[in-house]
Amino acid sequence: MKADIAVVGSGLAALVATRTLQQAGRNALLIWPGLSSLYFTYATVDVLGYSDLTTTQPVDQPEAGVAKLIEDHPEHPYALAGLDALRSGTALLTEWLRDAGFTWQGSLARNLLLPTAIGTPKPSCLVPASMAAGDLRRTEPIVFCGFHGYEDFVPELAAANLSRSWGGDDQSVRAIRVSLPGFEPGRLFTSIDIARSFEDVAFRREVAGRIRREAAVDGVRIGMPAVLGLTHDMEVYSSFAAEVGHPVFEIPTLPPSVLGLRLFDRLRKHIQESGVEMVWAAPAHAAELSDGQCRRILLKSAGREQPIDARAYVLALEDTVDGALRAGVHEVIDPFFHQALAHHAVPTDRTDESLFKPQPFASVGYRVSNRLQPIGDDGRPLAGNVFVAGGAIAGYDPVGSKSRGGLAIATGYRAAREAMAA
Amino acid sequence: MITDEIGTLSDTVEEAAPVEACTKCTACNTVCPVARSTDIFRGPKFLGPESERYRSQAEAAVTAGLDLCSGCKLCEVTCPSQVTIQEYIRRAQNKGAEERGRTLRDWVLGHTRLLSRFGSMTAPLANFGNRNPLVRLAMEKVIGIHRKRPLPRYQWLTFERWFKRNRSLPLVGRAREGVSRRTVAYFYGCWVNYNERRLGEMVVHILERNGIDVIVPKQQCCGIPAVVNSNIDLARKYGAENVRRLSGLPANVDIIASSTSCGLMLKHDYSHLLEIPGAEPVGARTYDICEYLWMLYEAGELDIAFQPVETRLLYHAPCHLKSHGMGYPATRLLRLIPGVHLDEVDEGCCGISGTFGVKVEKYDLSMKIGSRLFEAVKAAGTDSVLADCETCRLQVEHGTGAKSAHPVEIVARAYGYR
Repeated sequence: MKADIAVVGSGLAALVATRTLQQAGRNALLIWPGLSSLYFTYATVDVLGYSDLTTTQPVDQPEAGVAKLIEDHPEHPYALAGLDALRSGTALLTEWLRDAGFTWQGSLARNLLLPTAIGTPKPSCLVPASMAAGDLRRTEPIVFCGFHGYEDFVPELAAANLSRSWGGDDQSVRAIRVSLPGFEPGRLFTSIDIARSFEDVAFRREVAGRIRREAAVDGVRIGMPAVLGLTHDMEVYSSFAAEVGHPVFEIPTLPPSVLGLRLFDRLRKHIQESGVEMVWAAPAHAAELSDGQCRRILLKSAGREQPIDARAYVLALEDTVDGALRAGVHEVIDPFFHQALAHHAVPTDRTDESLFKPQPFASVGYRVSNRLQPIGDDGRPLAGNVFVAGGAIAGYDPVGSKSRGGLAIATGYRAAREAMAA
Repeated sequence: MITDEIGTLSDTVEEAAPVEACTKCTACNTVCPVARSTDIFRGPKFLGPESERYRSQAEAAVTAGLDLCSGCKLCEVTCPSQVTIQEYIRRAQNKGAEERGRTLRDWVLGHTRLLSRFGSMTAPLANFGNRNPLVRLAMEKVIGIHRKRPLPRYQWLTFERWFKRNRSLPLVGRAREGVSRRTVAYFYGCWVNYNERRLGEMVVHILERNGIDVIVPKQQCCGIPAVVNSNIDLARKYGAENVRRLSGLPANVDIIASSTSCGLMLKHDYSHLLEIPGAEPVGARTYDICEYLWMLYEAGELDIAFQPVETRLLYHAPCHLKSHGMGYPATRLLRLIPGVHLDEVDEGCCGISGTFGVKVEKYDLSMKIGSRLFEAVKAAGTDSVLADCETCRLQVEHGTGAKSAHPVEIVARAYGYR
């Protein structure tokens, strides 16, 4: 199959790259090697939460923070992508979210500081409006509300943790639990099932009533697991918050991520219905190179290999999250060039003994040129018309620095621009 | 030392991911159209890889809930680790049916070819019966086929006989002499043979218009109705018969299917789920009709002297088409035709999944699964809804009252075929 530019991936970087191409009037083919990493991650857009992995002081102004990071670390993927790519990519995504019917908040100028499911403060840049009332710079007391039988969000834990780092004269934290109609003990369910139930008007009216009775006092805000509807980010939220009678904010929980699902499904649908073709279920597993260019990539399709013959390629694979890279016993192999990726290590060196320390495996990925081309050991591009975006770029830890979203945007935008020029 | 032991291990990654490759990420459950629509279904993760860890050949199969899997394969499409979720579910379901015995309905729906043959031979009577409320009530009580589900109309003249009457030339010989550029074998499937002969006629017309000779080898049901109705052995028997016949074709003859699911069986399931010897080379030269036409286009071999077709169309991609891993060739093809205004709808599964939505206890669920698509179709208000899969078309027509067609019908019209 021939294509103008093929984008391989299904995470935020792939979506931003595809949208960039579409907006520029180019013909993008989106190849989807399995479910989006957005289903497994926090699904807020974090641009820069911590300036390095040793500090506990969150970044307040992400754009300024990234500018400083670029100055200090010219090899960092942000430096390779450039601050302009972050700005333009963010503008593109913000506009796209609006076009696709989302209501999000935040800007590159200032981070929000939002409580996580375990009650730690987390800096995020762009977030769904349904999360914004959790900002810890606001002072109203917080009531964390969990559900009986649902252990992906433990309100008592969140309250105990948060009251240690946040709180003061007027700031108090409390935990309550309500039961959900139809979710009796013994039923097997996930956040997704609860989110589906919240789409039902009678269900959410009943739950809102129970929360109102439990919360009992005025002037508080209610922090809830992110389960307020599956297909739309505001419909369920707005009517539910009105029924509860207090400001409500959602808190992302363990995978599968309801917020990620809302985001990916809607953006994917939007881009597909506006004419971008998607190839589903086709993991890419080889690239054919000649004269320093990638001539085609091969997909594992039903019955045979499907060649994709494009002028340029954006490899927007995520890292360890979505199964794009295969970690064998001795090395981590990329699916195109079958090269051992930079920062690979034997399994014992891939992880730190402490779960809460930065993990070496997080920085596994392609080493790239200053145009985001994958490079070999000699520092030369493996293929002049291939550009890497997102988590598959080596040398940074998207989790520890809280920068996964911003890097996906910056590198996705830049890689698409480079692919257009190639 | 762990590191010493690691030194002796190999780095080979298995081709088909074993059950251990499942990381329990729950991605499959989030996209499963059945799990989305009923809370009594535990979803592919639990019924597939998780239960598989506890299944043993020696013990009786636990089949509770397995029959709610419609077989759409979206779980496999979605799995980031390429776990063969469907195959685990189908094998367990089949084993359970072997142990307990199959129901009359399993037998009937698994033998759709036989049934269609009978329906075609008695077409006026069968069609009358299928629309007669009393007959339908009896069918619901005796076999468990929901009375509200419209059953396809049978035609007395089969595609096979039509082809014999109209195309009896020794075509393979012509190909050898260079009269035509290519020869293809058409796997028309039971649907075209007994229910929609016209679709087959159009496929033949389009191919011949492009200088391609069409041969129609003798063929059996592709086997998918048997697979989803707990009878893998029967499916394997059908599949092996097809593989034997298709393997005998000259090496330069490509195989074309116009039914999404038949094509997927030939391409993939024969060699994987059914493990039919010799199936791989057959799958490797099987093409979906639109995939094939697009390939011709890219090779500069497609006649693109299309007449304008002024029409507004809505394209629905069938679930099994996604499993082909070839994108949506029909949409590319139709955009070549002047006058065609094509919109795409991405609302997931239509709900029917072959014989799933026919069953008395699944009918309502099947309509609920399809409800999002139905709403989108009604809102779009286009002239026709296009889908490559015949049961998707039946379901969309039933759920919305809209007209539907296979994409090649538009191509045939653009070639002036009436």
